[in-house]
Amino acid sequence: MKLHFQGKALEAQDGDTIAATLYRNGQRIFSRSFKYHRPRGLLCVSGKCPNCLMNVDGIPNVRTCITPVCDGMKVRPQNVFPSLETDFLSITQHFDWLMPVGWYYKTFTNRAVWHAVEPTIRKVAGLGEVLSSETKEYEHSWMHADTAVVGGGWSGMQSALDAAARGDQVVLVDDQPALGGQSRYRKSGGDVAADLIQRLQALHNVRILYDSYCFGLYEGNLLGVLQRNPHAGVVERLVHLRTEQVTVATGAYETPILFSNNDLPGVMLSSGVLRLLHLYGVPAGRRAVIVGTFGTSADVCAELRDAGIEVVTIVHPEQVVTANGSGHVKGIQTQSGNFACDLIVVCGPRVPDVGLATQASAKLSWKSTQGAFLPTALPVHISVVGDAAGEGLIGVAAPLPYSKRAFVCLCSDVSSQDLCDGIAEGFDHIETLKRYTTATMGPCQGQMCQLSAIGVCARETGRSAAETGVTTSRPPNRGVTLGALAGPSHHPVRRTPMHYSHEKLGAVWMDMSDWKRPRYYRTSTTSEERECVLEEYHAVRDRVGLIDVSTLGKLDLRGADCGKLLDKVYTHRFSELRPGRVRYALMCDEGGIILDDGTIARLSEDRYFVTTTTGNLDFVYEWLDWYLTGTGWDVHIANVTAGYAAMNVAGPKSREVLGKLTTCDLSSGAFPYMSCREAEVAGIRVVMLRIGFVGETGWEIHCPAESAEALWEALLESGRESNIRPFGVEAQRLLRLEKRHVIVGVDTDALTNPYEADMGWAVKLDKPDFVGKAFLSTAAKDLSRERLIGFVLSGSGVPEDGSAVVVNGKLAGRVTSSRHSPAQQAAVGLAWVKVSHAQEGASIEVRVDGRPVQARVTMQPFYDLEGGRLRQ
Amino acid sequence: MSFLVPCPNCGRRSVYEFRFGGEVRQVPALDATETEWRNYRFNRTNSAGVQTEWWFHRLGCRQWLQAVRNTVSNEVLEAYLPGEKR
Repeated sequence: MKLHFQGKALEAQDGDTIAATLYRNGQRIFSRSFKYHRPRGLLCVSGKCPNCLMNVDGIPNVRTCITPVCDGMKVRPQNVFPSLETDFLSITQHFDWLMPVGWYYKTFTNRAVWHAVEPTIRKVAGLGEVLSSETKEYEHSWMHADTAVVGGGWSGMQSALDAAARGDQVVLVDDQPALGGQSRYRKSGGDVAADLIQRLQALHNVRILYDSYCFGLYEGNLLGVLQRNPHAGVVERLVHLRTEQVTVATGAYETPILFSNNDLPGVMLSSGVLRLLHLYGVPAGRRAVIVGTFGTSADVCAELRDAGIEVVTIVHPEQVVTANGSGHVKGIQTQSGNFACDLIVVCGPRVPDVGLATQASAKLSWKSTQGAFLPTALPVHISVVGDAAGEGLIGVAAPLPYSKRAFVCLCSDVSSQDLCDGIAEGFDHIETLKRYTTATMGPCQGQMCQLSAIGVCARETGRSAAETGVTTSRPPNRGVTLGALAGPSHHPVRRTPMHYSHEKLGAVWMDMSDWKRPRYYRTSTTSEERECVLEEYHAVRDRVGLIDVSTLGKLDLRGADCGKLLDKVYTHRFSELRPGRVRYALMCDEGGIILDDGTIARLSEDRYFVTTTTGNLDFVYEWLDWYLTGTGWDVHIANVTAGYAAMNVAGPKSREVLGKLTTCDLSSGAFPYMSCREAEVAGIRVVMLRIGFVGETGWEIHCPAESAEALWEALLESGRESNIRPFGVEAQRLLRLEKRHVIVGVDTDALTNPYEADMGWAVKLDKPDFVGKAFLSTAAKDLSRERLIGFVLSGSGVPEDGSAVVVNGKLAGRVTSSRHSPAQQAAVGLAWVKVSHAQEGASIEVRVDGRPVQARVTMQPFYDLEGGRLRQ
Repeated sequence: MSFLVPCPNCGRRSVYEFRFGGEVRQVPALDATETEWRNYRFNRTNSAGVQTEWWFHRLGCRQWLQAVRNTVSNEVLEAYLPGEKR
């Protein structure tokens, strides 16, 4: 296996992480710091600190110390100019006195100055850039279990075994490639762990998620788990894990000590040194000085010596003056002398990893015996075990001293001096100090710096750690890639049953909510939209056209009380609609605002067929059901939108075309405008509504979806002599606009009432009760400020939807729909204007391409004023 | 927001299966004053604590439920079909 790094191909060993390979090959500087571009090397080797972030195969900010090598990986350092070893921007560290904490809040108080310098600051400071041109695959999965155990150390494994023995279904989440926790890189306890692992793996009711990081615990015991490389081809999987019980066994992690130059490459946490040594067989240095109190440092010393690393001395933290070296550790200066070394091993204080517990509303209390904030008052479904609960932690007698030149927050280069300055400026509460200095707010989310920051704050303010308190932990505990949150890149698409017929006919598609609809059809001679739409328009006006309207919402209402329900939720009266008749239906909310429209056909005494607009079906269904709930009325609502297809055959010759396929009498006398019949067309049982959205004689035919394609083809075949044409949404919109038929949601908005939309005729205020009556009968009717009007443009051009309407040089309204009307030989449209301008024949100006064009207001349709063609 | 709603028909389900329908309130009488209607239409109790709400189980039984929820903790204490409160 090879990985590519700074122009070299480096050989990796089996099981290596990227950082292990780089370290083995002599790389010591892994990143440059956020603000001062100081060199940074490996510190924790466990994915907690920000020091090893690099760009891997185009993905920025990858924690290279925990990311396994894949063959051919391309690894690039971030935020360096030009390389890790030589970064010219490291000069900024000599000007740190110019950039004290909060300096840009104070310096760039002028907005113009800030805008001028912001690009430079962003370039100098910061982390990775998104460079990826390759797309990566992510996925989501959902899991349910009785118990989740987070952490695969020995106490996590023991908890999983206990839960499994109770008969629980258990999911054990571990962020490492193998179970064992500390025992994987410490000599003690290895046998116990091996036994636990073996017993766990034999159980059928325990599922183990390796390489999986639990980044948050949410309401309802939902755990967010990020699983790396769940299978070939997928980078990350986001697991939504829902359980009854959660056991937090996330252990404790080591944190740095605040001496001068504590961020120099070669200063490493003891756990990092041991991980590097035992997990990857890489000795971190040759000559080491250990900094620590004697309890743990003696163990570490023994392990290093076993591995052949020379340990020069063990220094108590209080004795340390500074780490020496430029670019890498060369020695350490202490109160008892100077020592040359190439590695400083820090046995820092250990912090219980309790973020998940606090996210589940646990409180944290300072326990001086353990030197840690530990969770108390846990909710019943959460338990915390092992080191996370403070087991095995030993507090230090007195808080450790700190150098003012030490880095507390490695993520955003905040030194102990910066914290002191912040406190001196009055930000002496840990929460305000955090926000002012940004300490604990970087990629490590405070894991490396929170305890130190609390220590500094406590010491400077003369308070105890308990009084100082702790900042709030919120998910995610660690950065989560946006790709993982977004999930797989697919979008649901709905196709009507006639989809493939449209395709053969040359449809050009448009999206309408999830549906695909033909916008227009290409012809044998042209695919230019304007020409095709015009041809389709003339086919409908002069001969006959056919359009697929299957996307309409369709509801089948049955029962003795349907009329009552419809009277209640629609503004018109439906209980007295005679069977076989159809009526336009308008729906308003309690405030009289138009919600939806459609047609309602009464098929028989106790059966109504309701159509809704394409996008509002779910809403209308739920709205009807809500008004039905608790009434005890005999109504059953079935959503038949997908079960039925619908098509509209329209035009002067539509009767002739349809007549050839049915025995149903289509004459105006027998089948008048606004009536409906159940009949057979081309041998298919259908519901026919004689309505006319496009303004010509026509039938909207609803049939079972499985027969729709056959019916569509039969109609086209039957219309061949009449030169029938399929027409698309664009032609339909032009046709309806000439008739001034409103489209809810296009010509109306969230403030429109029926009177303003000039549809007061559809509101029956003499009905005893309906939704919106209270408002419609008072305020809405009298206090209208705007009115939807039609206009005919005097000059050339077609205004875009949304264009301004101007009267006497003042803004007076806006255009909602406009098209060039062949019937008027001019652009026509609908617009909202102030009521005072809504006079037949009034003169307004409409802006077309930025210039005002005269237009005449009309309250009449632009075509077939009397509606005679509809009724023919 | 990731709490569970105990649907009386389907059992405990993720809140993402449901549509929120607002707090359960008395619809004003037909002859209510304009002020009462305006209150009903535009004002909410916005209580921090337990309130009864409408929920529609869109991706389940497709029925309207009433649920008693603590708006502070998002704990749903009970849910039932309207009129079937125990």
